[in-house]
Amino acid sequence: MQMLTTPFFGIFLSLIVYLIGQWLFKKTHGLFFFQPLFVAMVLGITLLVVLAKFLEQDVANLYNTAYRPGGDIIFWFLNPATIAFAVPLYKRNDIVKKYWAEILSGLLFGTVISLFAIVGVSKMIGLNRIGIASMLPQASTTAIALPISKAIGGNAAITAMACILNAVIIYALGGWLVRKFRLNNDPIGEGLGLGTAGHTVGSAFALKLGSVQGSMAAIAVVIIGAVVDLVVPIFAHLVL
Amino acid sequence: MSQQNKNATKKKVQPAPFLVQMGIYASILFVANVISSLAPASFPVPAPVIGMVLLYSLLSLHILKVEWVDSFGAILINLIGFLFVPSGISLAANLDIMKAEGIQIVTVIIISTIILLLVTAYTTRFFIWLKKKSPVHAHSKKAVQPKSVPVRALTHAKGEN
Repeated sequence: MQMLTTPFFGIFLSLIVYLIGQWLFKKTHGLFFFQPLFVAMVLGITLLVVLAKFLEQDVANLYNTAYRPGGDIIFWFLNPATIAFAVPLYKRNDIVKKYWAEILSGLLFGTVISLFAIVGVSKMIGLNRIGIASMLPQASTTAIALPISKAIGGNAAITAMACILNAVIIYALGGWLVRKFRLNNDPIGEGLGLGTAGHTVGSAFALKLGSVQGSMAAIAVVIIGAVVDLVVPIFAHLVL
Repeated sequence: MSQQNKNATKKKVQPAPFLVQMGIYASILFVANVISSLAPASFPVPAPVIGMVLLYSLLSLHILKVEWVDSFGAILINLIGFLFVPSGISLAANLDIMKAEGIQIVTVIIISTIILLLVTAYTTRFFIWLKKKSPVHAHSKKAVQPKSVPVRALTHAKGEN
């Protein structure tokens, strides 16, 4: 057990499962089900569950004592990685200057419409009030979504799950969705959508599609953060 | 020979040394974190988001040159899929929620992700369409009502309901 509680274990596990994911992705010629991040997540959780059974421990406990020390080190690098999106954004300053009003209104109205749709879907599927409140702040990054979720009476763990799965889903299904709904007809909307739905990971995905998409996704991450901060508490107060 | 070639291409845009780039990122993160801690609890603004705004402002004001932050940033952005693995695995701590009502929650999350993507994309497309339409042909084409884009936006938003 002791050798598992050093950061080496978490870093080792993260890299191995991700590399297996990359290998599977290549072997299957890019089948979305074997998207490396998705494979790494499922494989990593499965390994922790099996290991917990083997050590006769609680999974959450094993995650906290064994995986987290290493996982947190990798996780920290998302901080500078998020900042780095300022560079693709700056490189397409021409688009920002020309379309700033459309970008702002698209994000603001898009969020409000999405919130109504999300409440509708949640009610149809039968989530309770806590569940619905937990779904509302998911358009922003985790650091904003969690406190807002708590403030409007949601469950922070469910919100965290939503924010994380958003990114995984966009990374895995983004290509298919973009093709299916012909989002590439309008790279500005495409980028803003990917940044809103997939956060930083969605922005990395958008950047692969093009410089306009990447820069728009980056600006979406910033502005949606502010929009969620301001709009979601009011929305929750009025609608829930 | 190859050395000379390298020098020739590097003359145009000289990227800052790696450690200098890291230093810039670390300074911005540090300042951003200080600003973030000053934000009120009801309006959380995370340090990385403030950092992105800071770096963007410094670039736009030409205080920083893009080649001082470009290559290190590109490496980090290319790694984001991997950097996100610990977040994915962190769901292992919440397996009890999954057992209780996991299928419902995951279904709502998947649909919500698609809603956010499509609604944002089509709403923006609608506003860009408005902008393109309004200045030149404002009066002559007013009779031809929104045809392709806005109708589509609506049907998709409804389709997810």
